[in-house]
Amino acid sequence: MDPPEVSRDLSNKAGYTFTILSDPNAEVIRRYDLLHVGGGPDGHDIARPAELLVDSSRVVRWVNFTEDVRVRARADEMLAAAKDLR
Amino acid sequence: MWSGFLLALGACLCNVVFFANFPEQRALPWLSVLLAVVAIILLAIGLWRVFGQPRVDRGKILSSILSLVSLLLAGVAIFAFFHARALPPSSSAPQVGQKAPNFTLADTTGHPVSLDQLFAPAAGDSQGIPPPRAVLLIFYRGYW
Repeated sequence: MDPPEVSRDLSNKAGYTFTILSDPNAEVIRRYDLLHVGGGPDGHDIARPAELLVDSSRVVRWVNFTEDVRVRARADEMLAAAKDLR
Repeated sequence: MWSGFLLALGACLCNVVFFANFPEQRALPWLSVLLAVVAIILLAIGLWRVFGQPRVDRGKILSSILSLVSLLLAGVAIFAFFHARALPPSSSAPQVGQKAPNFTLADTTGHPVSLDQLFAPAAGDSQGIPPPRAVLLIFYRGYW
């Protein structure tokens, strides 16, 4: 939901090398049915936390839709899911 | 009385520990609620004991204050539990085996990038580097 500039600051500060995309109007978030209406600070809409591993034919191979915003997929879980694809 | 207070404090601290990101974090929400509920039970027992004594003393005042603070902490932990789980069902979200919808969004430099483009081989000096076999999409809520 953050505009590209906010993501750029974050990316530069944290030294991220992966692609960060911005969805300020939540179009893709809606297309993926991941909108958390009123879930953000000040009650604006926000994405629910979600992780999806997609293969090169765009088929979803692994997902994690947490039941609790405080619990997210850990890096080792996501790496293990990626390794399982081979 | 004091153990009730400590447990209520522990229940709230569970919310901070999430950022440590340790392997068993899935159990933390349940631990925080369990601690809060046990804390409230211990407080009730403590209060019943103190007020069951015939003489009026400082103990009654101290335990009342302690109970109030502990109840507040336990309440925060229980509220956080339900608040954090109030998520949309996302029943139409892409599931394993389904095709992920394509999209095009701006990257941090404002250039449009599509999902299909993310599978393209890296530009420039990419001799010998195969294109990615998979892409991990992470939807987050802003910084976290």
